[in-house]
Amino acid sequence: MKRRTSALLPLLLGIALPFFCAPANPIHAGTLDLRILHVNDFHGFAEAYQPLDSREPLGGLAYLAGKVNALRREKPTLLLAAGDMIQGNNWANLSRGASVIEAMNAMRFDAMVLGNHEFDFGQEELNKRLSEAAFPVLGANVERLDRLKPYVIREIGGVRVGIIGIVTEETPVATHPRNVSGLAFLSAAETVEKKLAEMKNRADIVIVLSHIGHAADRALAEKVKGIDVIVGGHSHTRVLKPVRIGDTLIVQAWEHGKALGVLDLAIRKGKVVGHDGRLEEVKPIPGSEDRAMLPLVEKYRQRMDAILGVRLGEAKIDLDGENVRRKETNLGNLVADILRETAKADAAIINGGTIRTSIGRGEIRVKDVYSVLPFDNYVVAIALTGKAIAEALEHGVSGIEEGAGRFPQVAGLTFAYSRSAPKGSRIREISIAGKPLDPEREYSVATNDFLAVGGDGYRSFAEAVKSSKTFSAVGGALMAEKVLYSDSGRWLRDVVVEYIREKGTIAPGTERRITERP
Amino acid sequence: MKVYVNDKPVQLLPGTTVRHALVREGRLEELERGKKVYDEWGNELGQDGALSEGVKIIIR
Repeated sequence: MKRRTSALLPLLLGIALPFFCAPANPIHAGTLDLRILHVNDFHGFAEAYQPLDSREPLGGLAYLAGKVNALRREKPTLLLAAGDMIQGNNWANLSRGASVIEAMNAMRFDAMVLGNHEFDFGQEELNKRLSEAAFPVLGANVERLDRLKPYVIREIGGVRVGIIGIVTEETPVATHPRNVSGLAFLSAAETVEKKLAEMKNRADIVIVLSHIGHAADRALAEKVKGIDVIVGGHSHTRVLKPVRIGDTLIVQAWEHGKALGVLDLAIRKGKVVGHDGRLEEVKPIPGSEDRAMLPLVEKYRQRMDAILGVRLGEAKIDLDGENVRRKETNLGNLVADILRETAKADAAIINGGTIRTSIGRGEIRVKDVYSVLPFDNYVVAIALTGKAIAEALEHGVSGIEEGAGRFPQVAGLTFAYSRSAPKGSRIREISIAGKPLDPEREYSVATNDFLAVGGDGYRSFAEAVKSSKTFSAVGGALMAEKVLYSDSGRWLRDVVVEYIREKGTIAPGTERRITERP
Repeated sequence: MKVYVNDKPVQLLPGTTVRHALVREGRLEELERGKKVYDEWGNELGQDGALSEGVKIIIR
């Protein structure tokens, strides 16, 4: 026995030595079949839902995680998130994104880039989320946010994979200015070029984890050489197959966890020599879920329900949401007042159709406000001339016979109208701050984003924006001069919740802001 | 910010989305009738997808 072993030893060593003793394995160095799994713009959609244009429900965090688990078992894998993960759906918002970070930790994400909506809860909350993340959070072109890393380099099977994160330069106009105070957002392309130079000889392949949108990803690939893969987000683009621009592959996986991006790379001698990519739709098929994720989803759903049941205050009188399409109501006044106060505007105009129900006298809970304002609208203020305000109100009363949702609820102004007059000439006198409206003067008018872009046929706001010159604002992002306030990261319903919580007791009345004349 | 909806130029607030462009053009309801929104390369877009200067979207 002993003799036989000894005789075989030189032969065994001869076979084994090249594999175990070579300093960097000359045959297999830099060789890897790597799988990249990616999501973007998840926005806290933990539960499957049926999109407007779909015949079946899609998404669901547990089902997404189940798919990740199955695909991860097959080969070495990186799981990446291309931004806008923690804000959007109530499941995320009511924990200020903590629920999503906990889920991402459980799913063992390898890296994430910040999206513009990651800033929506403010820098203090963002720093908390960054400290909770068990994975690196990237943002190479964001200056003065210390917890961010510009890039990471991961060694997988002898291949050094560099991952650079870049965020949209338009972040300063895509969230409230207070959320990005003191920060700077540098050029994505220039930043990537600089970081590529830093990573030279330190990474075999480079992935840019991007939250700048698909069109900008393509432009980046055309401009900057040396990027192997761009994993994108921001534009919610459903890129079914990887796009190749020069030597760069570009992918993006739609939105809300409705799809998981799968990109398989064949890496030989430190170079990508082949690829195969696809999107796999995530469907809530029983048995395909990661059962370990279910308690986490349920935990935060229960917390969400608990928060929705929290008592905010008390209404001393009934708050009328039923008649908002045909006359001034106290609930319409309350919401319009809050809009005006939030934007510090001269006046506020909203469409009655924004308000969907009433709140009875007595306790007000968070869910009552959410029922009144179910849409994901946010506060905007636009500079409007007196003439444009008159046109807006004229439009607002033009559908009163049909009970159209465009009937206005207002704050900071009063007006009278005649229902019997022809459409287009119903408005009588209009006053702002007790003075007759000056058609030539510009006023700041708060509204919601729906009306601001022309929703319900309100063209005045959109026309004002159209006439805007643009100028350079924070971080080099372009801002329209007629847009005086915009906070896309905070839903109107949450603004109203905070207002009532602060006041405690409310008893808004009607005060002849809108008067019907014969 | 100017974007294009089926080749028609549309002026929007900075930071707005595909949904806003559809509202601006009064075409949001078309999605309920089975239409979808694509970018100029034929990729489907989500309604909350961010728009940027010069982007072209197609409803079909």
